[in-house]
Order: sequence, then structure tokens, then C-alpha cells
Amino acid sequence: MAASPAVLSPSSALTPTPSRPEFNVVDAYEAALKHDSNLSAPLAAILALAAMISGSDIGTMAELLTALHSACTRLQQHRSAIGISAGCNLFTRFVAQYQDHARDFEHQKVEIVNQGRKFVDEAKSYRAKIARLALSFVQDDFVILTHSYSRVVMEALLLIHKHKRISVFVTEARPNSLGQKTCDASTAAGIPCTLVLDSAVAYVIDQVDVCMVGSEAVVESGGLVNAVGSYQMALVAKYANKPFYALAESYKFHRLFPLSQSDVATAASAGGSRHSLPSSESGHSSSPSVISPAVDYTKPKLISHVFSDVGILTPDGVSQYLVSMFLE
Amino acid sequence: MSEANHPPNASPSSAPPKPAQKALTKAERRELQERQRAAKAANAGAKPPKPPKQPPQAQQQQQGTSSQPSTPRPGGSSGLGPAAAKKDAPAAASSQSAPTAAVTDAMRGLRIFSHFGLPKHAGTLRSNVKTREIHPAILRLGLQFAEFNITGANARCLATLQALKTVIQDYATPQDSTMNRDLIKHLTPQITYLVSARGMSVSMGNAIRQIKLYISGLSIDLPEQDAKELLCSQIDTYIQERIIAADQVITSSAISKIQDGDVILTYARSSVVEKMLLEAFDLGKVFSVIVVDSRPMLEGKKLLSVLSSAGIPCTYCLLPALGSVISQVSKVFVGAHSLHANGAVSSRAGTAMVATIAKTHAIPFLICCETYKYTPAVQLDSFAMNELAPASTMHANLPSSLRADLRLDDETEAAQRPNLHALSPLYDLTPPSSITAVVTEMGIIPPNSLAWIPLSQAEQ
Repeated sequence: MAASPAVLSPSSALTPTPSRPEFNVVDAYEAALKHDSNLSAPLAAILALAAMISGSDIGTMAELLTALHSACTRLQQHRSAIGISAGCNLFTRFVAQYQDHARDFEHQKVEIVNQGRKFVDEAKSYRAKIARLALSFVQDDFVILTHSYSRVVMEALLLIHKHKRISVFVTEARPNSLGQKTCDASTAAGIPCTLVLDSAVAYVIDQVDVCMVGSEAVVESGGLVNAVGSYQMALVAKYANKPFYALAESYKFHRLFPLSQSDVATAASAGGSRHSLPSSESGHSSSPSVISPAVDYTKPKLISHVFSDVGILTPDGVSQYLVSMFLE
Repeated sequence: MSEANHPPNASPSSAPPKPAQKALTKAERRELQERQRAAKAANAGAKPPKPPKQPPQAQQQQQGTSSQPSTPRPGGSSGLGPAAAKKDAPAAASSQSAPTAAVTDAMRGLRIFSHFGLPKHAGTLRSNVKTREIHPAILRLGLQFAEFNITGANARCLATLQALKTVIQDYATPQDSTMNRDLIKHLTPQITYLVSARGMSVSMGNAIRQIKLYISGLSIDLPEQDAKELLCSQIDTYIQERIIAADQVITSSAISKIQDGDVILTYARSSVVEKMLLEAFDLGKVFSVIVVDSRPMLEGKKLLSVLSSAGIPCTYCLLPALGSVISQVSKVFVGAHSLHANGAVSSRAGTAMVATIAKTHAIPFLICCETYKYTPAVQLDSFAMNELAPASTMHANLPSSLRADLRLDDETEAAQRPNLHALSPLYDLTPPSSITAVVTEMGIIPPNSLAWIPLSQAEQ
């Protein structure tokens, strides 16, 4: 959360296995996550891809891009989380633009891998940057409403707590109930925290001063992809005229442009499902089908600001940043 | 065309010489009197001289052809074309004519739209310029533009570029000058001629500007034929990159947004939307299309025939019927004439209505447009920059019973309508708030990011 170890020494799982073509990028990804629990999905993806490159014997840029592309596909099949997709796109874009004709390809590969790892190291400081930006938007005695568990929001809350008096409401975020984790961590740090039913967001909104949520991705339209319930919270906040802030590191910016919830579900469902509820006591034998997505898409007009390491952006600004970054 | 045509740019006061030799009939005398009165009134403070509409109308009478849809002879923005022509029919026994007071009043009546200029037409083309200077390819193109045989931003731009390539190939550098300076001077009257045929589209303007940049970048040391080859290949590259390849990227991005079972709505006829729908169907996507169309251009009919011959299930309706079908629609894809820095999009008149209706029904409204149609101009409404369709197109394609009811072909005085002005702007502006996204070759972007396109392109 706060200060994570600055050096990531390549663990054995990240060094490639001798059988080159069979480098398991999925294993590398999981290993990266296990090695550092604070690592977010996009960064772990980047590390896995870097590891794949460093161990490979690819000789040309074209081959490299092809190999990257197939590795990204494998990663996304493993966990179809939009964060992974964002990290893959970012790294692939970087490699495609990388030009260094002064040295031979082996050196270029080494340089690419080093830059990838350096980026991940620097990116670990992004959460602290975002927390500092958020600090100035909160005053004493503020009540902050948040959703589920987000590491960047957690870091922001802890930093704000050091400087100001705040209290926190957090939604349970069923079915994963990650809101409880936020509550435990806040209480342990001394922040008064209240757990709120998912359906009670409208009930509490009048007591709340500001809503802050994390993100799995921020998309081209300026909208937000986050744990299911964020869209609902944003709608309620908009109606109640409370600011709704999305906290997102810049590597989570994604060029997807969803037109509807289903666009996001196909791109990003990390574990959502249709499943049946356990049958009730009255003995119903047939269980009804259930819609239980993992993420939803919050429309850009509902978001007041996106707090990011590149600055505080309006939803329009996200697209302008993406257009200028990806079209160099 | 008879020699009786005087230059249309002549002011109403410089009317053709009075038929002194002929005995003036009463009608002719009256017409002469009115002409003088109009000339006085026109000089007294009306707008700068406008091309009088009489010569073409006189021609119309002389040639005895009724206005066919494919050869609009606009009577001017007043739409008094047929009416004014009929009025002069008794007077224009000879080939001379001039704007009557009624017609001048009509021109003044539409002052609010007069900054669009009166619609051009084929008749004015050849008479206002030394046609010897104009390359035959350009002459042909001008005629096609004026008669609306080539419509659509992409089509016009491509046709212009092909014609300019021909002009460049036929060009010979004069002794005392260099190609990179003289060629631009040589092209200027050609382009002016095209503009006089029909106002330039933003796509044409951007392309021509780029060509001029290529020309001025020519090295002086290059032999003439090599320079011409280079220019032509640069033009080809521009077409390939900015139009053809861009269309392919746009098509694949747009297709990724189509899901099986979608009902796609489109308006009028966009070349890139047409390509996209045909390719989506080829790829096996299951969808149906609603083509919304509007008069006077009725371009949707052609799109409908192309799509339905490919096998796509289509529905066709006119714009007023949009409200009845909108509830079935999943997505709207339309094309554009130009993209503006403030995120607004100029497209065929009626597009803004489709956008508004789609928005109120929370239906995604997507514009498919290549970035070469981007202009840094900020446009806030449909009035500042627009083009009027020739008035005769308003009456084109009408069934004969309706024509009889409206007495459109009636040449008597009784059938005239001096107080009726026909107005048919060709474009309208869709504000960024109604647009969900713009699909360009640089990705699917929200309209407010359009202004960043040239910055990103400059870095490439």
C-alpha cells in the first residue's frame, strides 16, 4: 500500500524456462502477482511480457510483435480482465514505437525489457501521487463513500487520514464482499468506517460529502470500468449532486470505447457469471437464473474528475490524453 | 447555348443592349421599364450584384426543356425559377432578358440565406471564364458537379484529385519559371472554375491544400517529367493513406461495434458506412438496416439498392417517419461532410435531427469519417457555412399528379408565387453533445477529442 519494496529482483519463476517457444506467460503473470501482492494486473502483465522477451531468441521486430500479440491473447484468455488488456496494449504500443537503430536487435531487446521493468518500478509510486492529489479535494470532517476494495483508494484514505479528520462509508460490494476488507483496513488505521448495504447507497448519500472509487480501467469515452455497483453509485451521486471521483493510474487507461454494458462485459468480465441462487427453504426446486456481472461501465457524464498520476483530468481529458499518447 | 447569354456576373444594371431595332411589344416595353426600375433599385443599396437568373431561365424557355432532375437549372434561392421564367416567357420572345423587379424582391426576401450565394448551375459555368484556359478534364468535372452527378465528400475529392493529376500531366512549365511556383498559379483558375460550378467541400479543400504543399516542396533540380511523376505518386499516396486505407480502418473499428441481431440505422448515403455494412455482412454478422432518406437529394435510394442487392435485410423510410422506427434501432451509423474543432460535425441536412432523436432514446450515434475531412474551423450552427440545393431539385422527382396540382409546369401568370421561397440547405451541423463517438482511422474517439487529431498527426 504505502511504500512497497523498490527493487523487484527477478524471481526464478520470471526467468524463462529453457524450452523457449513454450515460455509460459501466464505462469509468469501469476508469479509476478504472487511475488508482490500490491502489484496491479496491468503491471503484472507488463512484467510477464518483459520476461517473455528477455528469455526469447527472437531476431526481428516483426517476430517480436507477433510473439507479443500471441502472449497478450493468452493472458487475456487466462483472465479476461480489462486491466490486463490495458497493460498489454500499453507495452505492445511501447515496443512497436521503440526505435534504436544504433544497436543490434539483441541490445534492443535488453533495453526494451529494462525499460519495461523500470516503468513498473516507477508505476508503483503512482498511487502515492494520486493520493496526494486527492488530499487537496478533501476537508476536515468529510465523509467519503467508496465502493468495494481498491488499493489506490486505500492508499489515498490512509494518506488523507494522516492530515485530516475523515470518516469512511464503504459498500459491501457483494458477491465478493470486498468492502469488508476496506472496512477492516480503515479501522485498523484508525479511520472510522461504516459498512453499507449495496442497496443502501441512496439511503446514505445525503450524509456523504464525496464519492471516491478505484478502477479496473478508464476508457476512451472517459467512462469507468470498475466493480459492479460503481455505475449505480455514480448515478445516485449525480442525482444528489455529490462529486464522484475515479482514482486511476495512467496505465489503466484503455482505448476501448464501450457503447453499452455488454461491450464491457465481453471485454472485461473477471469472474462474473450467471448462476443460480441456492434454493429457498420453501422447497423451490427450480432456481432462477441470475445476472451477476463482475464489472460495470460508468458513463463519463457521471464522473466529476479522474485522479491520475498524469494529473486531475475531466472525462474529456482522458480521451485527449489517450489520443495524444497512442498516436505519436 | 445561344450567344445571347451575357455574362451572369454582370450587374442587373448592365443589362443586354436594348432591342432598339425591334418593335417593342407592350409586354417587352413593360419588361424594359421594370428592368430599369430594378436596376435603379439594385444600385440604390441592395447587395453586390448577383448573377441574374434570367439568362438560364430564358435558355430554359428557349430550349423548351422542362427541368429534369439530373440537370437542375436553379432559378436562384428564391425558388422562383420556374415562376420567374414563366413570367418572362411572354417577354422573352427574343433571347434577351433581365431580372425583373419581382425577382429582385425575391432575392432580397431570402437575405438571411443570401450569404450562401445563389446556387450555381451549368449555365453560368462556361460564360464567366475563358474556357480556353480550363483543362477539359476540369470542364467535365465542373459540369458533373454543377449537375450533381457526383455527390458526396469522398467522391468529389477523389474526382477532383484525379482531374488534377491529368492537369498536372498535361502541364508544361514555361521557360522563365519553375514548376513549383508556376504550377500553383496554373492550377488556380482551374480550381476557381470548379468552385464556380459548386462550392468546394472541406474534403476537396484539404486535399488541394495538401497538393499545393507538395508542389511547393518540389525540388527545382528535378526534371519536369520526374517532378510530375513524383507529384502524381504523392497524390496517389494521399488518396491511399487518407481515404482508402483510412476507410478500411474505420470499417473494421465500426464492425467491431456491431453485434448479431443489431438493427442499424443510417441516414442518406455515406460511402464509408456503405462499405462498412457490406463488409460486416460478408463477415457473417447478422443484422438489419433501416435507411432513412430525405428530399430533395434522396440519396438513400441508391444505398438501399446496393445493400439489398447484397442480401442485407433493409427497411426504407423518409425522415418524418423516423419517430416510428427509432424504438427498434440498436445503433446509428452516419457519415460526415466535415469534422470541426469544437467537436461538431457537418453532414447531410437531416443528420442533426437523427442525432437528437437517437440521443433521446439513448441509442449510440456514431459518425464514421476520415480525418482528412477535419477542419480547424469552429462551427456553431448550420447557418454560417452551408450550401443551398438548386431550387429546381425541390420540384424534381415529384409525381406528375402532384406537379399538376402545384401547377409547376404551368406557364401562365396565375400560377406564379412571388411570395413563396424554396429553401433547401444541403448540410446541417450536429453538435458534439448529440454525438456518442466519431469513428476515425485514429480510433473511436469522443467528439471533443477531434481537436487533438492534427496535433497527433503532426507528430507522425
